Amino acid sequence: MRKFFVAFLMTAALLPLLAQPASMQYDTSQTPIAAVRRAGPPKGPVPRLPNGMVDLMDATWTGGGPVNDLEGQGGLKKGELDALLLPWAKALMAMRDETQEPHNACLPMGVPRVTPFPYRFVQNYTHKGPTHMFILHEGNIHSYRQIFMDGRKHPADLDPTWYGHSIGRWEKDTLVIDTVGYNDKFWFDRRGHPHSEQLHTVERWTRLNLGEMENKVTIDDPGAYSKPFTVTFMATTTPGDELLEYICQENNQYGIQTIPGYKGPTFGGSTSK
Amino acid sequence: MRMKLAALVAGLGLFSVGVPVLAHHAVGAEYDASKTVKLTGTVTKIEWTNPHARIYFDVAQADGTKVNWNVELAARSALVRQGWTARTLSVGDSVTVEGILARSGVNMVNARAVLLPGGQKVFSGENQ
Repeated sequence: MRKFFVAFLMTAALLPLLAQPASMQYDTSQTPIAAVRRAGPPKGPVPRLPNGMVDLMDATWTGGGPVNDLEGQGGLKKGELDALLLPWAKALMAMRDETQEPHNACLPMGVPRVTPFPYRFVQNYTHKGPTHMFILHEGNIHSYRQIFMDGRKHPADLDPTWYGHSIGRWEKDTLVIDTVGYNDKFWFDRRGHPHSEQLHTVERWTRLNLGEMENKVTIDDPGAYSKPFTVTFMATTTPGDELLEYICQENNQYGIQTIPGYKGPTFGGSTSK
Repeated sequence: MRMKLAALVAGLGLFSVGVPVLAHHAVGAEYDASKTVKLTGTVTKIEWTNPHARIYFDVAQADGTKVNWNVELAARSALVRQGWTARTLSVGDSVTVEGILARSGVNMVNARAVLLPGGQKVFSGENQ
């Protein structure tokens, strides 16, 4: 009886996979996923894996980081973050305008910034146990973050990269991601908040319920800010959503013809003039 | 096609009221929100792409010539999440585009709405 029940459960679990077409398309007789998202995140308790750990992998997530304004969206008072900028960083930010930001040229958004598109946590397991957590981002541009979960330390000599070198651990129900080794190229937000290669981030991802997860991020960058600060964001799930293809360079015409005297970077270019 | 489209439009009607959602980039630097435009013409090309889907359409001028416009829509992936597909419109379809003009003055518009002759909206929402 028990065997039958297990077999029944497994079949039931596999059926949706079998029914899924090879290339994912939405059934237009169903409620569009955008409408599901607008209805708000689902209610319910935090889902857990059979071993009792919090499950972050059952759904895609959106939000959970800044886009327009690290200061305001992160819960800081107006001027609070800008007061911490070192003089050179303040001068750099004053020179920046949104048409120059790397994100417009299909370059990665860095950390803790997000895009309007979803991402998914994927835990890699081997015979040695959990080794890596990946965060797969649909947005700029099909990016993945690799977080080492095997207890290793950051290497002493780091090659500066867009997403840095991340090591992760669980503190009770919170996934803590510690990252160093960033390059200084990405902007924290459209306002142009800068950072240096000395950037060190500690993200604390805590799933609060079925539909919501808090991301509390401590940003320590003595190269650009006079002291560390903490910003907090909320990520939400959208039932039924999946990652879609997002090839940003495919037809990126940003600024090429629309902005008078545009001198910003262009990537992907235009398929039509 | 038309029947399918009509069903889709009816099905989406409730949800496609323009709700601003963050796009790939801020629209304001490229397009001037104070310069609105409403143009009617014939679709010549559809680009079902990221970071923006686009349609190109010919607008007839008073002197009998045609001017081709480049219309920026939301990201393909955002439109797919609204239920639209590359087959929602076809080359040769007549459409009216409501939107805002490029700051440079070229024939480019950021669409707020794409309307069929019957007034049904297609590719609507999530352009900002």
